[in-house]
Amino acid sequence: MHGFPDMNAPALAFRSVSAGYKGRPVLDGVDFSIAEGEFVSVIGPNGSGKSTMLRTATGLIKPTRGGVELFGRGISSLKPRERASLIGVVPQKLESPMAFTVGEIVMIGRSGQGRRWGVPGPGDYDTAERAMIYTNVFDLKDRLFNELSAGEQQRAALAMALAQEPRIIMLDESIAHLDINHSQEVLRILMKINREEKITVLLVSHDLNLAAQIADRLLLVDRGRLVRNGSPDEVMQEELLSSVYGCELRVRRDPYGGHPVVSGALDSLIRRPQVQKRLHVIGGGGTGIELFRRLLIEGFEVTAGVLNRLDSDAEAARALDITCVLEQPFSAIGADSLEEARLMVAQADGVIVGPVPFGSGNVVNLELAVEAQRAGKPVWIASGVHRRDYTTDHAAARMAETLKSGGAVEWGGIQDLMSRLKAYAMTPQS
Amino acid sequence: MTIPTKALRAGGDKCRPIPSRGSPNRKSAAAFLLAVPMLLGVSLLLGPSGIGIPDMSSPSGEAILWLRFGRFFMGLMVGAALSASGTVFQAILRNPLAEPYVLGVSGGAGLGAALSILVGGGLLGAAGLPVTAFIFSVLTLMAVYGIASHGGSSPSVYSLILSGVIVSAICSSVIMFLVSTADIAGMHTVVWWMLGNLQPGSSSEQLISLLFIGSAIGALWMLAPALNVLTLGREMAHYQGLNAGFVTLSSLLLATLLAATAVSMGGMIGFVGLIVPHVMRALFGPDHRWLIPASAVGGGTFLVLCDAIARSVMAPIEIPVGVVTALCGGPFFLIILRRKMAHAWVS
Repeated sequence: MHGFPDMNAPALAFRSVSAGYKGRPVLDGVDFSIAEGEFVSVIGPNGSGKSTMLRTATGLIKPTRGGVELFGRGISSLKPRERASLIGVVPQKLESPMAFTVGEIVMIGRSGQGRRWGVPGPGDYDTAERAMIYTNVFDLKDRLFNELSAGEQQRAALAMALAQEPRIIMLDESIAHLDINHSQEVLRILMKINREEKITVLLVSHDLNLAAQIADRLLLVDRGRLVRNGSPDEVMQEELLSSVYGCELRVRRDPYGGHPVVSGALDSLIRRPQVQKRLHVIGGGGTGIELFRRLLIEGFEVTAGVLNRLDSDAEAARALDITCVLEQPFSAIGADSLEEARLMVAQADGVIVGPVPFGSGNVVNLELAVEAQRAGKPVWIASGVHRRDYTTDHAAARMAETLKSGGAVEWGGIQDLMSRLKAYAMTPQS
Repeated sequence: MTIPTKALRAGGDKCRPIPSRGSPNRKSAAAFLLAVPMLLGVSLLLGPSGIGIPDMSSPSGEAILWLRFGRFFMGLMVGAALSASGTVFQAILRNPLAEPYVLGVSGGAGLGAALSILVGGGLLGAAGLPVTAFIFSVLTLMAVYGIASHGGSSPSVYSLILSGVIVSAICSSVIMFLVSTADIAGMHTVVWWMLGNLQPGSSSEQLISLLFIGSAIGALWMLAPALNVLTLGREMAHYQGLNAGFVTLSSLLLATLLAATAVSMGGMIGFVGLIVPHVMRALFGPDHRWLIPASAVGGGTFLVLCDAIARSVMAPIEIPVGVVTALCGGPFFLIILRRKMAHAWVS
């Protein structure tokens, strides 16, 4: 075993690998290499060959062309035990039909080590114990594996793989089915393994955002081919992903983590049939965002204003293509924009007042509602205006009272408003 | 004050205290080890000639004791072979219903044995019967496996059991055909043998069988750590650095050899290969390093006891031992299924 594993060679290398199952080729000329200590994620649509790639990387499937190398040596030339001491695999779900305890399951991770008669020594127990402590399952060691929660089972499976003391850990969609708290915990352990123990991690995942968040590098697989190999920024391209996944996708940047975030473009696609009603929304400070979205989905035409530029409602209105009247940032609503809004309200069928706080700067927006009511238009006003009234003379609360006495409908939450609006949209009006 | 750990909370609502692996098992294992020699002793005292040690001073008494010893060793061997074989099938197919009968292995062995009895397997001497049985049961296993997988890579357990039942039925109807065409003497031998009985054959036959059974159980015991890994599935076994194909194939062949030898010795005795492994798993846990020897001992004891009951309850009429194993085993199996299964099998 002199000079092996060769730590200068890539931990894992695919040399134009083609592979597949009986009569069904899956991988086609896949070529990449992963350096020791990298955290790489394989992404791609369902059935693109991600799992086949993992099976090929572990020697479970032999390539029909090309070769797989581990630390510079062809995988087929490795003895099963050598291979197990280099790669540990965490499956999608580890299934133990028999009642093994967690401790016994983790000790199975030591079974591939060269021992006479399979009798584990004290060193084996120490290693298994360390692996259990690392993955936070040591307290569970006497519990039956099958009685654990899915997250605990996955951590125990990870402990079993770690007990092999591998240089590479591969995970096959191992966290996809976990709740967010459990998947976060497993991911944290993975990051720790990667950073502290310098274990190379290959994570097969169909969760693009998760992959982009934690991986150093992404391998994008589509129909058995490696279509992009690069940093999350290089791979998470709107056009590329949209064509690979065959649907319209948007990529933004996470405001906190800075990593790219992909999302579907569903909002702009699926709407209920148009109801031929135009509603004007008086919002601001983020109170209108959900309102806009829901109104659009229900098929209303929506206008908004007056809003200040850079206000989050104004940004949302812009993103959703909602016509609105904008005032300069952080300034009181001026006469010009109010006049513009008046025209807009005149064309609307009704006015919705959101749960927005009123101050001297925006209280004039309520006047728009009062005028609309005078013109015989229905007004829906979010309840509890007096609690959000920061004007010195309680002008907003007074105007709210006027509206209510004039027949304005008070609403509690979005759900409440929506049911009222549906009833309104159903009733035929002149 | 103890801080509730995350682990404890996660198990929250179904929070029955789980016994740690050691204590209850050690107790029940000790009880088992005490019970085995007692039960074996009791079974030596039972027989159609009455309960108790036969009168050793008379030549007939001595003969009776020797007869009982002969049956005793047959029972030990056949029971051990059947239940060790069942244990291994269950581990490899990862299914609690797997056993030589369900998979058609016993049926194939029966066909081979019937052929050997009727046509005469004299070519191979004392080993003729077990070897023919083994060859036929391997062929049946291959047929079952082939039918179940029909082109696909690895067959599902359900299709495996289904095709096992089919092949078993075919084997038994072929045996019926053979019996119906045989002469009176042959017919009598085959039918008597098929009912299952532990009347010892020639000593050379017994020696050969002992050799087969002993070495197969020994070899399986050496494979025990690998069998533990294999219960997690073949793919996981591969990732653990196990030559999964080799271990699966060799342990399947060894388990088949055990079943075939048992069938050729004692005929069709059901239930032993199914119940005993489950009981032993409930007592000793799923670790095959303990489970395989425990199953062998337990299976032997169970069959010896059943045989003692079979020959003494309706004396002088002897009930076929297979009837007793099924009658004792069935209800017992149901109880085990309800109570202890949680600690042996899940799902």
